[in-house]
Amino acid sequence: MSRNVLIVDDSLTVRMDLAEAFEAAEFATVLCGTAAEARAAMAAGSVDVVVLDILLPDGDGIDLLNEIRATPAVSNAAVLMLSSEAQVGDRIRGLRTGADEYVGKPYDAGYVVARAQQLLKLRRVSAAAATKVLVIDDSATYREALRAALREKGYGVLAASTGEEGLRLAASERPAAILVDGVLPGIDGATVIRRIRLDAALRDIPCLLLTAAQDRDSELRALDAGADTFVRKEERLDAVLARLAAVLRRSSMRVPGEETASLLGPKKILAVDDSSTYLDVLADALREEGYDVIPARDGEQAIELLAVQTVDCILLDLVMPGMSGQETCARIKAAPGVRDIPLIMLTALEDRAAMIEGLGAGADDYISKSSEFEVLKARVRAQIRRKQFEDENRRIREELLRAEIDATAARATRELADARAVLVDELERANRELEAFSYSVSHDLRAPLRAIDGFSQALLEDCADKLDAGGRRHLERVCAAARRMGELIDDLLQLSRIGRADMHRDRVNLSEIARAVVADLRQHDPEREVEVDIEDNLIADADGRLVRVALENLIGNAWKFTGKANRPRVQFARESTLEGPTYVVRDNGAGFDMTYGDKLFRPFQRLHSPSEFPGTGIGLATVQRIVNRHGGRVWAEGEPGRGAAIYFTVPGLRSGGVS
Amino acid sequence: MTRNGIILLVEDNPDDVDLTLRAFEKSKIVNEIIVVNDGREALDYLFATGAHAGRSLARVPEVVLLDLKLPKVDGLEVLRRMRADERTRRLPVVVLTSSNEEQDLIKSYNLGANSFVRKPVAFGEFVGAAQQLGLYWLVINEPAPGSGTD
Repeated sequence: MSRNVLIVDDSLTVRMDLAEAFEAAEFATVLCGTAAEARAAMAAGSVDVVVLDILLPDGDGIDLLNEIRATPAVSNAAVLMLSSEAQVGDRIRGLRTGADEYVGKPYDAGYVVARAQQLLKLRRVSAAAATKVLVIDDSATYREALRAALREKGYGVLAASTGEEGLRLAASERPAAILVDGVLPGIDGATVIRRIRLDAALRDIPCLLLTAAQDRDSELRALDAGADTFVRKEERLDAVLARLAAVLRRSSMRVPGEETASLLGPKKILAVDDSSTYLDVLADALREEGYDVIPARDGEQAIELLAVQTVDCILLDLVMPGMSGQETCARIKAAPGVRDIPLIMLTALEDRAAMIEGLGAGADDYISKSSEFEVLKARVRAQIRRKQFEDENRRIREELLRAEIDATAARATRELADARAVLVDELERANRELEAFSYSVSHDLRAPLRAIDGFSQALLEDCADKLDAGGRRHLERVCAAARRMGELIDDLLQLSRIGRADMHRDRVNLSEIARAVVADLRQHDPEREVEVDIEDNLIADADGRLVRVALENLIGNAWKFTGKANRPRVQFARESTLEGPTYVVRDNGAGFDMTYGDKLFRPFQRLHSPSEFPGTGIGLATVQRIVNRHGGRVWAEGEPGRGAAIYFTVPGLRSGGVS
Repeated sequence: MTRNGIILLVEDNPDDVDLTLRAFEKSKIVNEIIVVNDGREALDYLFATGAHAGRSLARVPEVVLLDLKLPKVDGLEVLRRMRADERTRRLPVVVLTSSNEEQDLIKSYNLGANSFVRKPVAFGEFVGAAQQLGLYWLVINEPAPGSGTD
């Protein structure tokens, strides 16, 4: 594959020198002396690498870099800034704008080409793995727009409408980057990012926060949580894409293993000394070895630079004005990202005490300034090699650890699935047994009862002349007992069916069901005069059949227990309680003693004698089971002689009246 | 065309047979009731095979009262074979059984039952049900041409 390099420098010598080196490495070269020429060349063809001088006759290299990063067709090119400017400030500005590398002049052409190749290789590695992007946004419109734009750029897109769903997707799909909306219905964007950062397997995934224009607060919280950058939602989609590309580019620099790929790869050394004469000599000597040298004049500059530039080794003068060598060393060794960079202290021979102090501050080695540069080069080589081995070891250890974690996780998942399968099997078997049991109860237990009742009746009728009053009473009690057992069996079957029935929740009009139940009761019991008050349009998200059974029991109870009341009244309404919207069936009947309130809902628990009010004691247990299956709660209030009220809730998406 | 008013009762439990006959008697239904005790015999009777070989197929009952839990061939199988045979395809079948399990209801109606009645425990109610059944199927309902005739 032919790769194109665009070399932008006003010096013909530099252009020719670099062109020769790149062509030797089989790059196709395009040479430009001005920013205008560079723009034309970029518009004309694809560009993989740009070598860009910071000072151009018709403009600023950093402005051109900005344009490159904002132009989708070339935004992913590797950019190496080239400059004789020794100013650390320029270097930092360049790197912040999105330069991949900053090489000081005089440069080493071999280093520039090697670095360009390395950057391209990283691009390919990340391009292969970076295809999947997760978009978390509750607006379907924005999500789809972003999905289309990302697809067009060749990204794979995963989409989620809530943070919870997004986290699940992130865990299972391991996207290369996450775009998350700040404001989401469940957990917000900042929380999503915080959870990602807390997850050992996901914490390296770059996260971009999508924010509304004035949402400073959520920006700050997301920054705290570890977001890599923000994108304003009203910005054009290509700006979002450019930002995403930049973040992915940066994250590919962190690919572990790549950094330590080769001992012979291009190396960068930060040299800190207040004497520019010594710095120049030192830099020249090191460049002969093929190192790129970044000169810094004091500790502050060095620390500022390390924040944006990774280096392979630091040479630090012990005695400097302003921040001292020890102080600089201590600060570097305290900073998480850079503390592992080998640091060699440069000292004057006679200053042994200070040198020991420097080592105490954390320097990895020391060397006398008056030593031959050969010794210094050897020390630098040794330090870089040591760092390389350490990195390699750490990488291997991490890989082993990761493999072990993955294996453990896979094993746990497998075991969980197995355990689940066993449980599901057992549950299904138990369910089948229960079905078979209740089927045979309903068939076989009722037949003998029919015979008991039927033949007792036959006896009463056929042998009436042979039975006295006492005998007839006995037989009537036999019949009553048989019928009662029939009712108990029916109610028990209903209770067990309710536990097993499939739920189909839908918009249900409770008021209509209650009216139908009352109509049935009136038809069965035409002599009763009961005042019934049912609130209109009580709508709930519920299973219509089960709700009907519940209301049959509740209203049926109210009907029954008002049998002896003076002016019987039954009411069905919705009220507000501490539990939220609550339905209540209230009557002015026999009531009950609150002391036994919680017994009411247990099967076969009755607070009245059968002679007073007939019943099996299953009704409220059935109601409770139905309400529980809807995720609701049921409770009772009452007073002997003053009536009862049974309250229940039906939590759901749509529990409320029709507007 | 005169209606023969024959009822075929398919019921294995002798208690239930006696109670059913008594219930019909109590509700003043004096039609001829033929009792068979299992599914095999029901099919033999309907198709004049086995123990009922040689019976004239011209005498078709007007309604079949069919229990579901039967020895040898169960009620649903009897129903399935009746509906598969041209001679009994249109014969009214009332499933008369102990349970009202939803699965039995669904299967019965899917196989072409005309009605489904659960035998009540209380004999008084059973008499009421028998009375209404007799009234409906033997008096009000118009049978399909060719069934229920001598």
